[in-house]
Amino acid sequence: MPLLAIEGLSACYGRLKVLQDVSIDVEKGGVVALIGPSGSGKSTLLRALVGLTKPTSGLVRFGDETIRYDSAASLRAARRRMSIVFQQYNLFQNMTVLRNVTVAPVMVQRRARATVEAEARDVLAKVGLAGKHAAYPDQLSGGQQQRVAIARALMLRPDLLLLDEVTAALDPELVGEVLDTIRTLAAGGMTMIVVSHEMGFVREVADTVVMMDGGKVIEAGTPAELFDHPKTERAGAFMAKVRRP
Amino acid sequence: MDYVLQFGQVAGQVPYLLGGAVVSMELAVISFGLGAVIGLACASLQAYGGRVARGVAGAYVGLFTNTPAFIQIYFLFNGLPEVGVLLPPFAAAAIGLTLVAGAYLAEILRGGFASVRRSEVEAAEVLGMSRLQTIQHVVVPHLLRTLFAPLSGFFIWMVLGSSISALIGVEELTGRAINVSSATLRSIEVFLVAAVIYVGLTIAATALLAGVGRFAFRVRMKVI
Repeated sequence: MPLLAIEGLSACYGRLKVLQDVSIDVEKGGVVALIGPSGSGKSTLLRALVGLTKPTSGLVRFGDETIRYDSAASLRAARRRMSIVFQQYNLFQNMTVLRNVTVAPVMVQRRARATVEAEARDVLAKVGLAGKHAAYPDQLSGGQQQRVAIARALMLRPDLLLLDEVTAALDPELVGEVLDTIRTLAAGGMTMIVVSHEMGFVREVADTVVMMDGGKVIEAGTPAELFDHPKTERAGAFMAKVRRP
Repeated sequence: MDYVLQFGQVAGQVPYLLGGAVVSMELAVISFGLGAVIGLACASLQAYGGRVARGVAGAYVGLFTNTPAFIQIYFLFNGLPEVGVLLPPFAAAAIGLTLVAGAYLAEILRGGFASVRRSEVEAAEVLGMSRLQTIQHVVVPHLLRTLFAPLSGFFIWMVLGSSISALIGVEELTGRAINVSSATLRSIEVFLVAAVIYVGLTIAATALLAGVGRFAFRVRMKVI
């Protein structure tokens, strides 16, 4: 049984259909990469999974539990199991790095502050931010802020991590440090859905690549299948464009 | 031009003028404090209220930001007695300045509400924080940090603006300076001393606010 099963998921912004009948399975320990042009529905799919955009139809099953997006309790339970990292980091600007990553475990999960802070120091060290506990987000580079955001998501001990174009807002020289962090997570067996435009990286870390366009899944397969032998004309055209130097 | 500055007579009146400075600060603190309550209520109604509530709050803000404070205070002090409401000068000035402050503070606070980052509220939501936790730990700290400098600036404006109440006979710093000037006929010296006291007052208040802002909200403000 997949860890996460998305079945026929649709969503709208007003009259605009932004997700149409999307079905994707995510196996435990697997990395699924969502690729496609801007506006294809990749980020919307991640937002829909965590309930920030309400699905209009379809099912999302986490293990054997179906998430009910109209139920606050069901949504809360789902958000405990999956964490999202946003393109623009979305850190709390009024909190230090340490408080950013500990606020939810302490306040929402009601875990002991001392234990959480000790764990936070470990997680921050893992993402290369050992000396930055007392810094505020505006005192950090974009890459460092994004790694704080990843650490914040990890502190909730999620079963599934959703990464929404986490390198898109970064200067080119800062992209590498964030990708290294994600590589380490993938190697450690973290289940992830990654939206990315870094095709080399996608090919390297993803088990499954899903190409989306116009809110629909166009094609899904292994990186080799999709990058080297796309079956659909649309995927072929997209690959030809992104491969162009 | 053979005017010779003579501070002798005025020097003896400095304690009296400093007493007026205390009254000026009282007026500023009262009207700012009560005005903040009115401003918060109006800004909340304008941001989250229904059509009628938004209309009432908007009309109040529009009326008091588009008419001179002097007219409003004069109306309270000289107009209301015509309908049987007699207010002492200090009360009329405090009420008038409170109503003006409420309208301007509503505008400042409304700008603060609009600056709350949706992205941070969404992050709090997906981290599982309740609405109350989000307001307490994300929205209010953001507002305090964003609004501290403009609110501090407005408080200083209130300290100086309270001088308008001298025109209805309140014995605050300007009122007392007018009294001393009439008694000594040393207008230049009296108003120079009053100006120095105002400058000292605003520098002290700004320095205090800058200190609070720096340590409590990481806000850097220029004192001079």
